[in-house]
Amino acid sequence: MKKGLKWVWLVVVVVALAGLFLLPGGAKKTLNVAGEFELTPIVKLPAVGPVDLSINKAVIYLWLATAVIVILAIVIARNLKPQPGRFQTAVEGLYALARDGIARSVMKSGVDTWFPYIGAVFFFVLINNLIGLVPLPFGEHHQLSFYTATANLYVTITLALFTFVFTHYAGINKYGVRKYVNSWMPTGAPPVLRQFIFVIHAVSEIFRLVSLSVRLFANMVAGHAILAVFFAMALIFQSYLIAAALQGASVLIYLFEIFVAVIQAFIFAILSAVYIGGALDSGH
Amino acid sequence: MNPHAYAELGAGLAMGLGAIGPGIGLGILIGKALESIARQPEVAGDIRTNMFIGIGVTEAVALYAFVVALILVFVAK
Repeated sequence: MKKGLKWVWLVVVVVALAGLFLLPGGAKKTLNVAGEFELTPIVKLPAVGPVDLSINKAVIYLWLATAVIVILAIVIARNLKPQPGRFQTAVEGLYALARDGIARSVMKSGVDTWFPYIGAVFFFVLINNLIGLVPLPFGEHHQLSFYTATANLYVTITLALFTFVFTHYAGINKYGVRKYVNSWMPTGAPPVLRQFIFVIHAVSEIFRLVSLSVRLFANMVAGHAILAVFFAMALIFQSYLIAAALQGASVLIYLFEIFVAVIQAFIFAILSAVYIGGALDSGH
Repeated sequence: MNPHAYAELGAGLAMGLGAIGPGIGLGILIGKALESIARQPEVAGDIRTNMFIGIGVTEAVALYAFVVALILVFVAK
């Protein structure tokens, strides 16, 4: 029985491969990677001044991520058990990573004040990135497709602006404006050098904002572009055989994208913690 | 060649050349981190955290090249 089953499987695989080799490629459409990231309004709303309030798929993905986080938090908080099950252990592990691995490991002071923000941004970016790896029907003509809200520069720049504002708020709140700005410059240096270092520091603060947002955005865009290319191999080569052979590679890329999604959320949160912690301990 | 072909050529060059530096940098960074973890396994957690910070900062350089390539292909038409 078992040996016969093996032969049946072998025959099925051979027939399938032969069929794939003989069949022509998929629908004769060209692949448009850039089209995957275009945002068209799904619900058209009137613009308020220069701000377009139309609801596109990025907005829906953001709502989905928010809903997932809120429901997850409520379900976990209602069913806390002293003997955690698998689900609770996983969420507790992530919480411990956000608190001990990110906030406590890089911030010398102010962990209790700023952990809510660090943890929130970690979970928000993480859930957003992971939802991007679930095919949802928001593609062209409501096909299943991959998209993530963090593959949109406006979303990531808003998140980075939160960190930027909170960094300087934390510094000014602790030291006062004068002392905080003075802490950017070395004491006891000649005035020209102090002004020069002040300008360099100000530029680096702006570039932190740029790099924090562009890092997440470019990672997500690059990941989803590679996913789109690998999943559309049938369109590119116009042959099912090559497409079938490369599906293994696309699974590997998909697994790597899960890793990238977690790592990028981790890096976003830890750099936010480093910046806020740096502003709090800048009394050098 | 029409001007748009030059833009696409430039995009490929930007991504390829821009990936060299961060590639070398990430290799050195992760290699050194592994070396120090092997030497002092008791501080592996701290080293790993700082390694990820370094990875984030180094990798951003390659991503700038990626963004420039995107701009060359899709915006500078």
